[in-house]
Amino acid sequence: MKRIFSITAWIAVAVLGAGALGSIALHRGEPLNATWFVVAAVCCYLVAYRLYSAFVAAKILALDDTRATPSERHDDGRDFVPTNKWVLFGHHFAAIAGPGPLVGPTLAAQFGYLPGTLWLIAGAAFAGCVQDFVILFCSIRRDGKSVGQMAREEVSERGGFIAQLAVLAIMTILLAVIGLVVVNALKSSPWATFTLAMTVPIALLLGLYLRFVRPGRVLEASVMGVSLVLFVVVAGQWVADSPSWARAFTLTGVALAFVIIAYGFAASALPVWLLLAPRDYLSAFIKAGAIFSLAAGILFVRPQVLMPPLTRFIDGTGPVFAGKIFPFCFITIACGAISGFHSLISSGTTPKMILRESHARFIGFGAMLLESFVGVMAMVAACAMPPGVYFAINSPPSIVGVSGRAAASTISSWGYPLQAQTMTDLAHKVGEITLWNRAGGAPSLAVGMAQIFSGTIGGERLLSIWYHFAIMFEALFILTVLDAGTRVGRFMIQDLGGRVWKPFGRTGWMPGILLSSAVIVALWGYFLYQGVVDPLGGINSLWPLFGISNQLLAAVALVVATTILMKMGRLRWIWVTLLPMAWLVTITMTASYQKIFDANPRIGFLAYAKVLAVQIAAGKIPAEQIAETHRLIFNQRLDAAVTGVLAAMILVLILEALVHWYAILSCRKESVLHESPYIATRWAANFSGVAHGDD
Amino acid sequence: MKRAAMSTSRFLRRFWRGLREWCGDAAYETYLRSKSTRSGSHRTLTPAEFYVEQLNRRYSRPNRCC
Repeated sequence: MKRIFSITAWIAVAVLGAGALGSIALHRGEPLNATWFVVAAVCCYLVAYRLYSAFVAAKILALDDTRATPSERHDDGRDFVPTNKWVLFGHHFAAIAGPGPLVGPTLAAQFGYLPGTLWLIAGAAFAGCVQDFVILFCSIRRDGKSVGQMAREEVSERGGFIAQLAVLAIMTILLAVIGLVVVNALKSSPWATFTLAMTVPIALLLGLYLRFVRPGRVLEASVMGVSLVLFVVVAGQWVADSPSWARAFTLTGVALAFVIIAYGFAASALPVWLLLAPRDYLSAFIKAGAIFSLAAGILFVRPQVLMPPLTRFIDGTGPVFAGKIFPFCFITIACGAISGFHSLISSGTTPKMILRESHARFIGFGAMLLESFVGVMAMVAACAMPPGVYFAINSPPSIVGVSGRAAASTISSWGYPLQAQTMTDLAHKVGEITLWNRAGGAPSLAVGMAQIFSGTIGGERLLSIWYHFAIMFEALFILTVLDAGTRVGRFMIQDLGGRVWKPFGRTGWMPGILLSSAVIVALWGYFLYQGVVDPLGGINSLWPLFGISNQLLAAVALVVATTILMKMGRLRWIWVTLLPMAWLVTITMTASYQKIFDANPRIGFLAYAKVLAVQIAAGKIPAEQIAETHRLIFNQRLDAAVTGVLAAMILVLILEALVHWYAILSCRKESVLHESPYIATRWAANFSGVAHGDD
Repeated sequence: MKRAAMSTSRFLRRFWRGLREWCGDAAYETYLRSKSTRSGSHRTLTPAEFYVEQLNRRYSRPNRCC
C-alpha cells in the first residue's frame, strides 16, 4: 500500500513538473507567472534526485556505508572532521555557491528566459550534479585527494599537469571577470561604493575581535558584523545625499579597478585572520540570508516574467555579449548548470568531513541542485523587469548609443519599448545617478531583486534600500571569492616558483609572499583593466573566456571520473560521465574556435583586432587615440592566444585520455585503481558527527 | 501539546548546534573532542592558536567557488 502511494506521489510530481516545463516552453503572448518556473524547477530536481542520483549511487558507484570514510580514519579535528550531513550540506553549498549562478543566468537572459532555464535544469541534473557527486565519491575513496592528484594517479602525469594549469587559468580569468562585475556595479555610485568600502574596516574590526578578544567566537562576531553592514547600507544614502561625501565616493571604472587590485594584494599578503576570514564570515551569513529571502520573495510576490521566451538575439547579435545560443548560452551559464570549479570543492574539504559514503549523494548531487535553483531564481529576477530596462542596463554605449535618448531609441527599435525617462526615474528610485551601461549582470540583478523584495516589504519607498542591499550582497561575496582566490593563486605561484628557487616556495617568507601576491594580482589585474577600458564592455570578451576555462576544468574532472568508472569495471554505465564530457568538449571547442576565428568582430578576437588595425591604417583613428587602439589590438590578440591555449589543453587532455582508455580496454595496460584499502567502520548506525553530540 | 513543545525544543537545540558547527563557532570544541586530540599524541592548542592555524589551513586551498 505504502509502495503504491509512493509511486503515485512520484508520478504526480513528474506530471506536475512536465506540465510546468511545458507551460514555460510553449507559452506565448501574455507574460508568464514566475511560479511556473519554481514549480518546474523543483519538480524536475525532485525527480532527478529520487531517480537519477539513486541510480548513480546504487548501480554505478555502489556506495558502501560499512566502509570507514577519511573523516573516521584520520579524525584530527582539523581537516578530517566527521560532520553531520545537514551541516556538511550547508558547508558544501556555501563553498560552491558563488556569483556565477547569479551573474551567468542574468547575462544569458538576453536570449530570452527559455534557453537559460532549460540548460540550468537539464545541465544540473545530467552534468553538474553528476560531476560533483562522482568526484566527491572518488575523492572519498582516495583519502580526500584533489582532482589534480587524482588526474595524475588515475589518468597520467600530463593529465595532472593540465589540471594544475587549468586551475591557475580559471583562477586568473575568474578573478578578473568578477572584479569587472564589481567595477560595473560600483562605478558612479557613491552609495554602493561607500557601503562596500565600509565592509573593509568592519571586517578588520571583526578580525581583531576574533583574534584577540574572543578567539574563534564566530557567531557573535558575525551578528555584530552583519548588523554593522546593514547599518552602512542605510548610511550610504546619507553619503549619496551629501555633495562633498558623494564626490569622494564617486569613482570611475579605472579608479575602481585599481582600488580592487590594491585590495586583492592586501588581502593576499595580510594575515588571513585580519581581513580575509572575517569578511568570509560576513559574506556567508549575508549570502545565506539573501538567497533565502529571494526564494521567499519570489514565492510571495509571484512576479510576472516580462522577458519573452526567445528574443531576437538568438541570432548571435546580442548587445550584452555576441554569439548564438549554441555554444554561448552554455558557456555563459556555467555555474548553475555545470562548473568545473566545483570539482575542486568536491575533492577538497568536503570528502574529508563526510561521515558516510551514502551522504555523498545528498551533499554532492543535492547541493548542486540547490545551486541550480539559485540560477533559476536569478533568471526569474532578471526576466521580471521590462526587457527594455534589462537591455538598457546591460548594453554598452558603443552599441546602443551614448545619450539616453539615442539608447532608448535603439532599444525600442529592437522591439523592446523604452523611454529615456523610464531609466531616469528608475535610477532616481533606486538612488543611483544612472543605470545606463552597467553591464556585468550585478546591477540588473539588483534591480530585479529590489523589485521582488520591495514587493514583499516596504513597497517603492524602500526600493533604493533594497537595491543597495542587493548590490552590497553581490559585491561582498564577489570580493570574498576575489580575495580567497588571490590567496590560493598566491600559493600556486609560490608552489610553481619553489620548484625553480626553493626559498620562494616557503609560504611564511615575506619577500616570497609579497612577490607571489604581486604576480597573481598582476595576472588578473591586467585582464580586469583591459575589461574596464574595452569599448565593447569587457564582459563580451572576458565572460566567455571565463566560461571556457571553467568548462575546461569540468572536462578534466569528467575525464578523471570516466577513467575511474572504467577502471571500476562500470563500462556499461560509462555514458553517465562520458556524455556530459563530450558535450562540454563540443561546446568549449566550438566557443573557442568562434572566439578566435569568427569573422564578426564582436565575436572573433582576431577579426576585431584586424578591424582596428585597418582603421588605424586608413587614418580613421584620431592621433591621440592611436596608442590606446594599439593596446586594444594587443589585448584582442592576447585573448585569442589565451583561448587557443585553453583549447589546446582540452585537446591534449582528450587525446591523453583516449590513449589511456584504449590501453586499458585492449588490456595493453594493467588497470590499477588507486583507492585507499577497505577498512570497516566502527561507528554505530545512528552516529551523526562528533560536534553534533554523538561521540 | 507537551510533546509538540518538546519536539520544537529538540529541533531548536539541533538547529543551534548545527548553526554553530556550520559557521565554525564550534570548531574548537570539535577539535577538543577529536580522536587525535583525545589520544594526547600532540600538545593541545589554545583557542587562539587553533583559530589562527585553522584559518591558515582553510584559506590555502580553493574553498570558495565562482
